[in-house]
Amino acid sequence: MRRVAITGIGVVSPLGNDLQEFHRSLAEVKGGIRRLPAEVARSSGVQAGATVQWDSAPLLTPGEAANIDRVSQFALGAAAQALAASRLDPATADRTRIGVSWGTGMGGALSVDASYQEVYGKNQWRLRPLTVVMAMNNAAGSNVAVKHGLRGPFANFSTACSSSAMALGEAMRTIQGGRADAMVAGGAEALLAPGTLAAWQALRTLAPADANDAAASCKPFDKRRAGLVLGEGAAAVVLEDEAHARKRGATIHGFLTGYGNSCDAAHMSRPDKDGQIRAMREALHESGLQPADIGYINAHGTATSVGDVVEAEAINTVFGESGVRVSSTKSLHGHLLGGAGALEFAVAMLALEEGLLAPTAFLEQPDPACELNHVAMKSERVPPPKAVMSNSFAFGGSNVVLIAQRN
Amino acid sequence: MPMDMLTRLKQLAAQEFSIDAAKLDPAASLESLGIDSLSFIEFMFKIEEEFGVAVSDEDLKSIKTLSDLERHVGAALAAAGKA
Repeated sequence: MRRVAITGIGVVSPLGNDLQEFHRSLAEVKGGIRRLPAEVARSSGVQAGATVQWDSAPLLTPGEAANIDRVSQFALGAAAQALAASRLDPATADRTRIGVSWGTGMGGALSVDASYQEVYGKNQWRLRPLTVVMAMNNAAGSNVAVKHGLRGPFANFSTACSSSAMALGEAMRTIQGGRADAMVAGGAEALLAPGTLAAWQALRTLAPADANDAAASCKPFDKRRAGLVLGEGAAAVVLEDEAHARKRGATIHGFLTGYGNSCDAAHMSRPDKDGQIRAMREALHESGLQPADIGYINAHGTATSVGDVVEAEAINTVFGESGVRVSSTKSLHGHLLGGAGALEFAVAMLALEEGLLAPTAFLEQPDPACELNHVAMKSERVPPPKAVMSNSFAFGGSNVVLIAQRN
Repeated sequence: MPMDMLTRLKQLAAQEFSIDAAKLDPAASLESLGIDSLSFIEFMFKIEEEFGVAVSDEDLKSIKTLSDLERHVGAALAAAGKA
């Protein structure tokens, strides 16, 4: 079986728009959750969000940026960084052997929202011609493919919060199966538009802004947790056949060795412990690892009342007394939904490579119902572990677990 | 003095397609300027908004250069009594 190396990572996130700044924010526990503009909060009821401070230049000209949805701009930013970091130059490689595997929950949600505002808000039925290609769910991944001329296998996954984790897992399968030498895999989300926010608000799962400090609005595993905070951004990873990477002298940051994928098939939004357990065990089994080999788990940990308890129980069932370190960094970067799995994989990779465990910020009063060996409040430096895990558990019952190993 | 239409069209095209306005040859085919059909349809949407006219699908097909565009927009303005 071909081993799948990780040769480049890129991020566009509420914690910074390159990997270095992202790492620094995680290490220094500098959160990216903010109060949303007053008019948005008033109309939608959503008070807090993890927004990206984004300037499309110099990546895109003003003309290009006007015609590419924000979600695709994030995808282009993250993918360009990942490719540059990998030093895999599509111009000198066989582009038919490099593909794209992308994930997003709601694709060009801002373009959809804008078109609905025209039609239903203003009774203006004449929409801009690029509406469809800006809004479609595969636009972000397709823009990445077009920009870099990546003509190999293409896939786009839309399984809510597990979308981009699935994109990484399926990219791994594509390389293992010999259908590509390398894949740009990742995910993106940009849906902080009034209509989408109102829909989320109706679900009653969003946390209000913390009265004292908006950055502290999302408190996974804490007794005071009040729900999730929506975020936006993207992350991309260059995955590569080990032999291909070694032949060109690439720096290998680790290996993606385990991909668990299960469906609860129980409820559309309420998580199910058994499904999560099966996904974690499947990823461990595929990696050939024991629970004690995992040094850090980036939990799904959305800070909902039910979700955190179920995940803690699932982790404790799989890991028993191993005391694996766990954190949910959604407390810092918010919930990127379709982009979450890829971004949190990047957090797990920081633990794998540098032994830097990013914490669950604001976890001052751990909920006894979520008893775990938390990395709480402060980042920690530990000897780099043998392997790390990243959990992504989605609405619709989709559970995806990824495991990366140092060697 | 108001800007003539071709100069304005060149300005808009330069902005939309990131091309130096000074290098935009009005007689050059849009294709040779790197403007594909989808991009052109989006550009036409903005032109119609800018000048407050509508160019028919039939006329759209015959626009191959910026000069063609100038002629059709001028005719549409005249037909609408705006010229």
